[in-house]
Amino acid sequence: MTERLLEVDGFRMHFSTRDGVVKAVDDVSFTLDAGQTLGVVGESGSGKSVTALSIMGLVPSPPGEVVGGDIRFKGESICAMSEERMRHVRGNSIAMIFQDPMTSLNPVFRVGRQVAESLRVHKGASRAEADAQAVELLDLVGIPHAHERARDYPHEFSGGMRQRAMIAMALACDPDILIADEPTTALDVTIQAQIIELMEALQARTGTAIIIITHDLGVVADIADRVLVMYAGRPVEYGTAEEIFYRPAHPYTWGLHDSLPRHDVPGKSVLRPIEGQPPSLVDLPGGCAFHPRCPHATGRCRTEVPEPRDIHSGHKAACHYAGEPGFVRGSEPGATREVGA
Amino acid sequence: MLAYVVRRVLQFIPVFLGVTLLLFVLRAPGVLPGDPVRLITGERAISPELYQQVVEKHHLDRPLYVQYGYYLQGLLQGDLGTSFQRDMPVRDIFAAKFPNTVRLALAAIVIEIIIGIGAGMVSALKRYSFLDVFVTLSTSILVSVPVFWLGMVMQVLFGIKFKEWGLPFMPISGMSSAQFPDWAHIILPAITLASVSTAYTARIMRSQLLEVMGQDYIRTARAKGLSSNAVVWRHAFKNALIPVVTFIGIDLGAMMGGAILTETIFNWPGVGYEIFLAIGQRDWPIVMGGVIIIVFAVMIINLIVDISYAFLDPRIRYGGEVR
Amino acid sequence: MRAPAVTTPVAPTSRTLWGDAWRRLRRNKLAMAGLVWIVFMVILALSADLWVPQHFGDPERIDTENLLELQLQSPSAVHPFGTDRLGRDILSRIVYGARISLTVGVLATSISIVLGLFFGALSGYYGKILDTLIMRLADVFFAFPYILFAIALLAVLGRGYQNVFIAIGILGWPSIARVFRSSILSVKESEYVDAARVLGAGDSRIMVRHIMPNAIAPIIVYATMSIGSAILAEAALSFLGMGVTPPTPSWGLMLSEARGFLFSAPWLMIYPGAAILTTVLAFVLMGDGLRDALDVKLKEEG
Repeated sequence: MTERLLEVDGFRMHFSTRDGVVKAVDDVSFTLDAGQTLGVVGESGSGKSVTALSIMGLVPSPPGEVVGGDIRFKGESICAMSEERMRHVRGNSIAMIFQDPMTSLNPVFRVGRQVAESLRVHKGASRAEADAQAVELLDLVGIPHAHERARDYPHEFSGGMRQRAMIAMALACDPDILIADEPTTALDVTIQAQIIELMEALQARTGTAIIIITHDLGVVADIADRVLVMYAGRPVEYGTAEEIFYRPAHPYTWGLHDSLPRHDVPGKSVLRPIEGQPPSLVDLPGGCAFHPRCPHATGRCRTEVPEPRDIHSGHKAACHYAGEPGFVRGSEPGATREVGA
Repeated sequence: MLAYVVRRVLQFIPVFLGVTLLLFVLRAPGVLPGDPVRLITGERAISPELYQQVVEKHHLDRPLYVQYGYYLQGLLQGDLGTSFQRDMPVRDIFAAKFPNTVRLALAAIVIEIIIGIGAGMVSALKRYSFLDVFVTLSTSILVSVPVFWLGMVMQVLFGIKFKEWGLPFMPISGMSSAQFPDWAHIILPAITLASVSTAYTARIMRSQLLEVMGQDYIRTARAKGLSSNAVVWRHAFKNALIPVVTFIGIDLGAMMGGAILTETIFNWPGVGYEIFLAIGQRDWPIVMGGVIIIVFAVMIINLIVDISYAFLDPRIRYGGEVR
Repeated sequence: MRAPAVTTPVAPTSRTLWGDAWRRLRRNKLAMAGLVWIVFMVILALSADLWVPQHFGDPERIDTENLLELQLQSPSAVHPFGTDRLGRDILSRIVYGARISLTVGVLATSISIVLGLFFGALSGYYGKILDTLIMRLADVFFAFPYILFAIALLAVLGRGYQNVFIAIGILGWPSIARVFRSSILSVKESEYVDAARVLGAGDSRIMVRHIMPNAIAPIIVYATMSIGSAILAEAALSFLGMGVTPPTPSWGLMLSEARGFLFSAPWLMIYPGAAILTTVLAFVLMGDGLRDALDVKLKEEG
């Protein structure tokens, strides 16, 4: 029986800006159990990073405001936590690593000290204990000569090494959940695979649940148990990795698949990018937010916001036509029947 | 680290030569309108024989590069010329004044550090608050105030009006008097001298801290579960401080130059006040000598600041590139 | 007749750039206050001959016969700002002083800009040895404390109003040259300049058509600030006795003359100081506003 760590339930985070209300996260729900890995996939501006920062309680308010739903960590509402209590969770029970390891480490402190800092704050370790443990952690994430390298400054580390150091820092307090926000985007392709493998290996060892956020469906393919696809702040598809990969039900997910280079499938070499640009979050298109870019859109899509519908047990897609017979990936545009319109 | 220091020292040499060349050009014949002899003997009328003596003594009839050689040699030996009003080596005149200027500049730096950095931090951390607006507005006003006028206003207010109103008042002239302890004399001059620099420091501190607070590594620190105090003081402060400290260091040099106005207002017996008195007497050797002393002091301070910068920023200390 | 429906694609964008900047500037209350004050001072200075001597007296003439009666009068209806030690009207001297201050500010800045553009262009456009030489020379200028350099220069040139703006102007070039050089460097490498060069455009054409439009915004901002600091520098130099010579009315000189009467006649000190402060502040606020409106990033420096 695995423990339910995180429940995100109809969560809405809106930003009030001069230009209007930005619905950065709108009605997002998912759960995460101990030892599981969830992939959150979407383009920039899809709300995936804001969702992550909301779990960390790091969205500044103002301008950010929780307007509905809740996030519960082990049954306790994060939105209702005091700053004091939240600080205890942050870095201790839920840790996070960020996209750009080049800028995410403080340039004026030694790497070892930065890893040791969480231990000092959360575990009350003495400086010597924390430093020693930091060396062990750096060793664990595969930094050679960790004992000496702990005394280096971040600028002496390569990008991949810095991301390893970030992971060491995040894992310092043995967190229940590790959130990785685009952990490989800023790295060389060869390093990307190493970092993903490292995260998998560490998960096998510590049992930490992982939320991996990416715009690259390929990254989550190997590592995720379940996948949430987001578009314009809303969830569009949610299911097991297998279902999202082999039986995707939403045209947007199809688009993500088609824009992915696949070398394992012979004969498929033509990339088809999704046409158009992600919409402005201030002025979302009516109906389904994806309809202006959807080759299958109908009149109904322009007026009616699709509710997530069950395709299969636990597999949901927010499309009026998802799961209809004949409405599958690769079907010709225009095959959709006008239902009730 | 050593390589950095050596590089800085090597970079210092062309600036040193340039500065001395420029000082030399200012008094070389035929380069600028004006007679170099006038700079040596002053504006009194002198006999043709004496004129010829001066020309020969200062090698003014030799080619310019030879003159520059003699000039540089003289400077390196500490020869700054002779005051014709007082018939005294310029170096001896300034020997007693220089420490007073340094003392005033140091007092002003202390004010600049405490108030400038403090105001900048408050302003950045309470962005858009009343205090922030107050700091922003008052720094704009301070950089526009003529310091010598600010000094006079303070003399009238704290020296005269406070006395009239029965409030504790302050000395407004010189370095010592029977009526006040010595330390009291430095208060108003130091505040005056510090005013403009403090405003700049506050502005730089504010913009730096705001910039640093938006950096990714600050988000990392928050994500570690540090309190906002720890984030500001441990992670943001040191990063924001690096450029501010550089500015303050370079400013120490600028202050020694700017001190001429403050010293004049408060009759503070430093290098600047001596220059001011010499201007009134058209005693150009003293004026030029004083300028040279300050310029050299400024160059050396800037060199030291550049080198000590390396101790603050590990990216430089280990030969890395900044950003 | 053809309707002028089609315009070149360049003109409207550049028009909106400056239009946008103006709109942003107008929203900035402090900058507009600065602008209003600058315009007011300019009008005052230009119209001085029409009304000042008639109502408040000549700014330079000393009435030796009635000196004792006229001198050091406190502010009154006849002399709103009082009179100085030589019986001259302070208001009259301040208005004529505005002429000196604004002229010195504008002329010194013009000299700085001409020299700065020239050296900056040589440095940024032709690079290599010339660049190194000019930038080292700029370093040398920066190594000098400003006021002391001006004093040394004026000791050689001799005092007087002309030499003051020449000296201040000469001292200002390195800042402008650096600003201009960095704009050139950023534009020079861009693709459209490469494209122009491929199309056979000469150096001067590239400079005028491609580089100047991009460099103009930072230079405008810098020039505005520079007028303010030149006014301050003139006041300081005149105060120290190295600037404008008596009896010419200069605000700095008036403050220097006020030193002996701080306690007996504080109005001698208050009004010229306030004139310097408000005028310089107006240029600083205007410069800040322009910087924000034109979205120019200048390094904050002392």
